[in-house]
Order: sequence, then structure tokens, then C-alpha cells
Amino acid sequence: MMRQTWRFITAGFYFQLRMMRGKPDWFLALITAPLSTAVFLTIFLHAERQDLTAYAVLGPALIALWQMSLVTAGELITFERENGTLEALVAAPARFSAVLFGRILAVCGVSLFAFVESWAVGWAVTGRPESINRPVILAATLLLTVLAMAGWAGVMACVFVLARSARTFQNALSYPFFVLGGVIVPEALLPEWLQWPAKLVFLSWSSDLLRASLSASPATNVSLRLLAIAILGVAGYLLAAVLLERTLRRVRQTGSLAHA
Amino acid sequence: MSEAALRVEQLRRSFSVRGCTRVALDGIDLELNGGTVHGLLGPNGAGKTTLCRIAATVLLPTSGRVQVFGKDVVSDTAAVRRSIGIVFGGERGLYGRLTATQNLRFWCAMYGMKRREGRATAVTLLDRVGLGDRGDTPVETFSRGMKQRLHLARGLVADAPMLLLDEPTVGMDPVSARDFRILVDELRREGRTVLLTTHDMAEAQAVCDTVTFIDGGRIIGSGTPATVRRLATATRRIVVHDVPEPEAQQLIALLVEADLPTQTEIDDRSQTVNLTVPGEKVEPAMALILRAGHSSITSAPPDLTAVYLEMLGRRADGTERGMQVG
Repeated sequence: MMRQTWRFITAGFYFQLRMMRGKPDWFLALITAPLSTAVFLTIFLHAERQDLTAYAVLGPALIALWQMSLVTAGELITFERENGTLEALVAAPARFSAVLFGRILAVCGVSLFAFVESWAVGWAVTGRPESINRPVILAATLLLTVLAMAGWAGVMACVFVLARSARTFQNALSYPFFVLGGVIVPEALLPEWLQWPAKLVFLSWSSDLLRASLSASPATNVSLRLLAIAILGVAGYLLAAVLLERTLRRVRQTGSLAHA
Repeated sequence: MSEAALRVEQLRRSFSVRGCTRVALDGIDLELNGGTVHGLLGPNGAGKTTLCRIAATVLLPTSGRVQVFGKDVVSDTAAVRRSIGIVFGGERGLYGRLTATQNLRFWCAMYGMKRREGRATAVTLLDRVGLGDRGDTPVETFSRGMKQRLHLARGLVADAPMLLLDEPTVGMDPVSARDFRILVDELRREGRTVLLTTHDMAEAQAVCDTVTFIDGGRIIGSGTPATVRRLATATRRIVVHDVPEPEAQQLIALLVEADLPTQTEIDDRSQTVNLTVPGEKVEPAMALILRAGHSSITSAPPDLTAVYLEMLGRRADGTERGMQVG
């Protein structure tokens, strides 16, 4: 059972990579990330805040990760529906959730390239590479972030199945989550009433830890913060699993599997 | 009770759209024996595709029961999915940017095959549907008929004992359609059960062991093509060949005056007169046609097209179906 589920996940993963190969429309976030990095860096350097260059490098990369994962991955079901393949996918013996997870994971994995891009642009603009003082923390945080992102992208995918105007949801959700996720402004600097909701967004823990991994100052409570990302990620998976089950049952009941 | 390949009991399915309820299937009962090809015939919106979708587990019944090889499509979904291959025809339903081989390999993976097995299966199936030399071509460049053939190959990926083919030959050229009939015959000989929806009566007559006429969500006739033809009508079809237009009009006037045919039709292009005549009037009609000097005549029981038109050519309120032409 586990082996078969793993096979469906890897099948979904490789299939998605194949679908994305040589198709720039899947990579729009990766195209805009270097431009955003350059803009943020220019602003911070003009304000003589060299101490904030790490924010300018990580912010656009996190935005790209969010956009590719939640927007592109969240749209996977909508794409299947429009392509007329959703019914056949649901009717196949493969666990739909496993295939979807594999595909989302592929998108999230590819989106990590935004960190390389932003780091390279940071080097080009400032003339020195942004130093990675704690590579282990960086690697662990990125890994957990991608996994957590895949879980929450699954939640979004379910919402998009039910909504006819999925893109409106995407646009409406992005900016509030950039704020709550502390991608540019750390959660600690948000107004107090926003700090608690921000703590429930795994991205806020991720962005703080990623900045800590670049900073020369000692990083505190690393395990606890990694655990927070993991717990919130698992919450995403559980919610996605429940929602997907209910959503598929609902569309089979309403007969809207082939259309919203 | 013996295990039928497909058993449908009192199946009802309705859809609610903006407060209005439309009944797509209204108490359908159907039973298919294993290893047979069954045609589901009816006009657009009759409920054929809805029935296929319920059997394919992608749509839930409002009430009633559907079993595939004894497994319930609602409560035993996983088992049903392992025992069916589906083909929802049309332009969509394939990954256009991927090649035909990549499409099939993905579907092989969805049916639990290992990569090597999937690769070999894709090659075999592409050969089987006549796309062996187009395996590396992106599907978006395929013609409609080629896409239909790839749909068929996808349906065969499961190697399932039952196949649900929803209008599988739409857009196929005559050669492909003939090949499809041969393929269905092979599937029957392999012992598979096929449920086929189609508008092509010649195709249904050629490949189906049994047919069901469905309209307005209800079954209005079922049986073998031969029994359905008898069930539907006691008329016969007479075709008079090589009759140019003025003579055709005269011949029809003669026949109508003698109150012999129930339906008449002149085909200018093939210069034929097509007549539908009650069984007891075949002899006098033939005699009259011969007396009028026409000896090139064929007579046959009505084909499925004629039966279809007789059974489904009119709506329940008596108005004619179809477009307002002529």
C-alpha cells in the first residue's frame, strides 16, 4: 500500500516536471523574482540600509515560492478540469491525493530555484555574495518550507475546485499572506493584533528562520521554530486530505467534476 | 443471482441547476452479460453519458444501484475502478503538450504499473490503435481522429474486463472507424464487456450484440439489433434504384395513390427512391413498382437507423426532433 502510494507520488512528480519542461508559462514567478530582488535591493541600498540586503534577497524568493506553489500548484485541478482529464484521473485506481501531492511537490521543488536567482542577483547588485552563515538551518528550513507549502497548496487546490473564479481568490489571497508570512517585513514588526494570526502562517516562521540562517547573529530556538513549520505544514496536509475527500464527493454528487 | 458484468437497478439521477431540477436518468434497469458488446443509443441529452459516468464512478446516483462485476459503484469504488477502462471521447481529455507515448505512460502509472511495464504497454497499445509511428509526436498536433485513437489506447491501458466507451468514434475517418470495429471485435473475443454509446447506427449494428434505446432518461427498447428491429416495427424498407427525378415523383404518386408506403424519400444524388412499407403491403408495392417499369429493387427489414428514427424521431409531445430544415 505504502509502496504503491509512493509510486503514485513519484509518477505525479515526474509527470509534472515533464509538463513544465520548456513551457515558460509555468515559470512566470521565476522570471519576476530576479526583477523584484533588484528593485528591493536598489531601494534598500539607496536608503543606505545595507543591513537589510538579506531581506531583499529572501523576500522575492519567498514570494516566488508562494506564487508558484499556491497559484500554479493550486490551479492544477482547475487545469485538469479544463483539459477534460479530471474525470479520468478521478476514475483511475491511483489515489488522486497522492498524484496531486507529487505534482505539487514538483512545482514547489522547482520554485526553490528562485532562491538561487535572488542570491545571484543580490551578488550582482551589491557586488558581494550574501553570506550563508548557517547552511544547515537554511537547508532544513527550505526543505520543511517546501513540504509545508505543498500541503497548503493542496488546500488551495480544493478551494479552486469549488470556485469558478479561482484567479480572483489567488489575487485576493496573495498580498495578505505576503504580510502575514513576513516575507519582507518580519512578523515581529507587524502591529500587535496581526502578530498572532501571522504566527499561524508557516511562512512567517520560515522567513524568520531563513533570515536567521543568513545573519551573523546567533539563531535562537531553531528546533522550536522548525517544529512550528512542521506542525503547521502537517495541519495543511490534514486539512487538504479532508477537503479533497469532501470536495471530490461533492463534485461527484453535484455532477460538476467536469466544470465548476 | 448470477453475477452480471453490469447491473443497473432503478437508477435515477437528477441535476439541480439554479433551483431547477432536471432528471437525466429516470428509473433505468439494465443488465449486461460478460463478454458482450452493448450499444446505448439515443439522442443528445438522453442520459447515455450520465449512465456511463455513474458506471465510471465519477458521478453519484441520486437513487438506485449500479454494480460492476458485483461491486457497487458507490460503496466499493476502488474495486470498480480497477475493473473498468474508460474512454470519454472528444478533442479534450489528453495532454496536448506531451507526446502520445508520454500520455500513455502517465496513464499506465495511474493504473499502478511500474515504469518499465508502462513503457512496454504504451508501445504495444500505440501499435494496436495504429499510432505506432506517432508515439513521439506531441498530441496537440494530432488530428481529431488520431486523438480518438489515442483515447481508445488510454482506455485499454487498464487491461480491464469492462470498457466504457462514450462516443469513441466521433471524428474518425471511415478507415479508422472500420479499424475501431475490428478492435471492438477483438475485445469481445478477449472476453471483455463493452458498453458503447454512439449516434452511429451502422456502427452499433456492426459491433453490438445488444442495444438499448434511451430517451428522456428512460429505456424505450432493448434487445439484439435483430429483435429491436422486429420490436420497433413491422415495416420493411424498399429501395428502388436508378430512378431519375421526374420518374421518381411519378412512381411515388402511384404508390401513394394505392395507399402503400408509410414513408417516401427521393435521393437525387444516388437516384434512388426509399420507401417504408407495412409488411402486408410489400407484395402489392413490389408488383406496382415492377409494373411501372422499375426492376432494380432491393427490400430489407428496417436497419437500426430506421428503427432509431421511428422510436426516437419524435419527442414525447409528438413534435419532430432535430433542426428546422427543408
